[in-house]
Amino acid sequence: MILKVFLSLLFASSVFAQSYNFTELRYSDAIDRYTQLEGKISFHKDGLNISYPKSARELNYKDDTLVYYENGKKVSLPDMQVSKMIQYFNILSLLHNGDESELADMFEIENQANKKILKPLGAIKNYINYIELRKEDTRLQYIKLFLKNNDTISININD
Amino acid sequence: MIKYANFIILFILLSVGLLLKDNIHISTNLLSLFATKESVEKLNIANNLGYSKEMLIAVKGFDKRAKEEVRQISKELKKLKYINFVQSSIVPTQEIQEYYKKYYPILATFDDANITQEQVSQKLQALYDAQLSSVFYSSINKNDPLSLFELQNIKRTGISNKGEFIALGEYGLLVRVMTDISPSQMNEAKELYRDVHTLLSKYPEVVAFAPFFYTVENSTKIQEDVQWIIILSTVVLLLIYYLLIKNIRLLSQTVIALFSSMVFASLVSTMFIENFNILSLAFGMSLTAVSIDYLLHYHFHNFYATSQKIDKNVLYGYLTTVIAFGIFSFIPIPLIAQISSFAVLSLSFAYVLFTFVFPLLGLKKYEEVRKVESEKREKKVPALLFFVLSLALFTYSAFNFKLDSNIRNLDYQNLHLLKAEKLFKSNSGAKMTPVIVQASTQEKLIEELHALKILLPDTFSLATFVKDKQSCKTRQEELKTYDFKRLNRLINEEASKIGFKDAYFKDAYSFVSPLASCDVKELDVFKTYGLSLYHDENIYYTMALVSDVKKIQKLPFITNINVKEMFNKSAQKMYSDLLYFGAMVLIIIFVLLLVSVRARFIYAINYILFPLSFTVAILVSLDAINIMHLFSLIILIAIGIDYGIYMSNSKKPSNTMLAIKYSLLSTVAAFGVLIFSTIVALNSIGVVITLGCGAIFILIKAMR
Repeated sequence: MILKVFLSLLFASSVFAQSYNFTELRYSDAIDRYTQLEGKISFHKDGLNISYPKSARELNYKDDTLVYYENGKKVSLPDMQVSKMIQYFNILSLLHNGDESELADMFEIENQANKKILKPLGAIKNYINYIELRKEDTRLQYIKLFLKNNDTISININD
Repeated sequence: MIKYANFIILFILLSVGLLLKDNIHISTNLLSLFATKESVEKLNIANNLGYSKEMLIAVKGFDKRAKEEVRQISKELKKLKYINFVQSSIVPTQEIQEYYKKYYPILATFDDANITQEQVSQKLQALYDAQLSSVFYSSINKNDPLSLFELQNIKRTGISNKGEFIALGEYGLLVRVMTDISPSQMNEAKELYRDVHTLLSKYPEVVAFAPFFYTVENSTKIQEDVQWIIILSTVVLLLIYYLLIKNIRLLSQTVIALFSSMVFASLVSTMFIENFNILSLAFGMSLTAVSIDYLLHYHFHNFYATSQKIDKNVLYGYLTTVIAFGIFSFIPIPLIAQISSFAVLSLSFAYVLFTFVFPLLGLKKYEEVRKVESEKREKKVPALLFFVLSLALFTYSAFNFKLDSNIRNLDYQNLHLLKAEKLFKSNSGAKMTPVIVQASTQEKLIEELHALKILLPDTFSLATFVKDKQSCKTRQEELKTYDFKRLNRLINEEASKIGFKDAYFKDAYSFVSPLASCDVKELDVFKTYGLSLYHDENIYYTMALVSDVKKIQKLPFITNINVKEMFNKSAQKMYSDLLYFGAMVLIIIFVLLLVSVRARFIYAINYILFPLSFTVAILVSLDAINIMHLFSLIILIAIGIDYGIYMSNSKKPSNTMLAIKYSLLSTVAAFGVLIFSTIVALNSIGVVITLGCGAIFILIKAMR
């Protein structure tokens, strides 16, 4: 679900974009290994859609309802997981709006040479240490998420 | 010098008032006038627990704009004074999350089955595989890799949600705000009301409601209404007095005398009667105007131009009225008792002034009037007929009598706030009712809350978050005896074999030791859910939301704080007290009338019975009768007694009739104008007095 946070950040810098192809590089501290995935994210009014075409998995969030598909079939997820995912999706929506003052309510923002460091202020600081966004000119290049359990997730924009 | 006696008396009274101003105590707590002492105490405890301090804000819809508005409003509200906390999300606060973390081993469910090495291996392998194959990131809980503990998602009963936002049914999003304002704190309520409405004026589709909104809006409305009525009444009174008496000197002396009587009664009442209320004071002042009939009677019978010391009619009228109010001053309804005491004091003072001081003022003699047609007895209806008619009207009323026990109906009917309140009530999900739970210790209180939860499982209280001591101790024992050290060793051995990072699970299940104490100290964190703890010297109190009060209200530790029901009960008691005292007063009046008018008893009693029966018959035909109607009927009795005695014993009926007509006009000007009020309590008085005066007018015109 934290993946959604990166994706939201991704969208925050590209308000007018509708769909992105991305590569996700995930590091698991527990097994000390990296995993790479490729996917696509589409942003619509009141929601978003994330798909991983190679593994035929898809996640659709619309009107505060989350639906998960495997091979085109709806699969239910545990309530606790769904509520956490929704929480992250709402952060995503906020980031998509690109409202600096709202962002400032939720993160302490540090501007460095060509990147931003976002340190969470609210409940999500229990899961996330900080988020790093790298830009070239005004275009977002990647987002890195540094989690409390030492896992990291990097999203690289391919388009 | 003696000609200025009236002014000197007033000056002395005002000086005494100024000197003793520190001893004057006026209560502004209107609740104490209508609710019983027990109910007021209950409500005070409820207020200490945060009851009635909640403000609700609804934003229509669930779209992006609505969410944006909720965020913005919440952010701005947090900056306001008197705001305790703002909640727009179902995500628990940081403090509650800390609480869960601390008490996790006690609160979570625990699978205590003995786990084999093979099972440990299988579970860890599944976790390992998921890290490599799952498309969605999932973190590994290194503290509980086997998921032996599970904490259920806790949600406040009766609150729905849309995503992380709190929802108000299908209407839209909801912001819950806990304020520091209880409805009785007028100044603070006004300040917060103004700030909130300034803030919300930017959001036209937003609806807000808090109990203290009634305090602010209704008191402003009542103030405007009363001011307007006082101006209208004063203008009408002065005009009537001037046009009818046509004697400026007499008029000014009368106004001074009435004012002195009000000051005298105000000083004595506010100094010697405990918790004398501002409403009783205002009402009592108006009632003082009734004493004008002593002056009018004296004036039109040229009492001041004779050497006569006492006019028996006025004396009887005064005594009967004062005795009636004297009895009512013992009624256990604070409002009526206080007004009656005030009336006894002010009418007595006015009687003394009009009887013993006015003859010294050297007032001009009244010129006799021509004979009026009312003296032509042959055209009039016999008194017995009016007596029979009164009994018939009473019988009709008895069959159509309906009491309005909802005291809130007496207040200004603030339609816009009532509509807002209804919006929140009708859209909130499960109808939960707050009750107070009390115990001698915190431990016992939690036990009682659990007992309540067994009876009504959907109860929302501190028991939702805190285990009772016995269950907590049992869990502690269970965790102490479980071999977590063996489990930790197995996990680390198997994890290493599968390929997990070395010592990744070295701390697995170490969170079960040391365990948190079963004496929970952090109950304050649940205030955001409306669950507070309050204790006085000997008792601990908290609030619980229950779905079925009837099922649990007989439990000794439960107090129902349904305000409507409380007021209904107190209204029922008021009605029975009023009937009891009313009956007693009527009997005494009958006796006094028999003594003072003897043979013309039926004639005199008609001045009480006919206005009462006429007014009540009309009232019951229109609507239910409220407590203010009943109280106004008492005033009507006080007015009727005097007229009955004057008319029965009058040697110059034309002069007496004239005095009564002027007196009636002044009474209508003082009380009747209340008919224009939009506040039901005041309007009720206006209706009764106007109808009653109308009936008296019919009597003086038509009865022989």
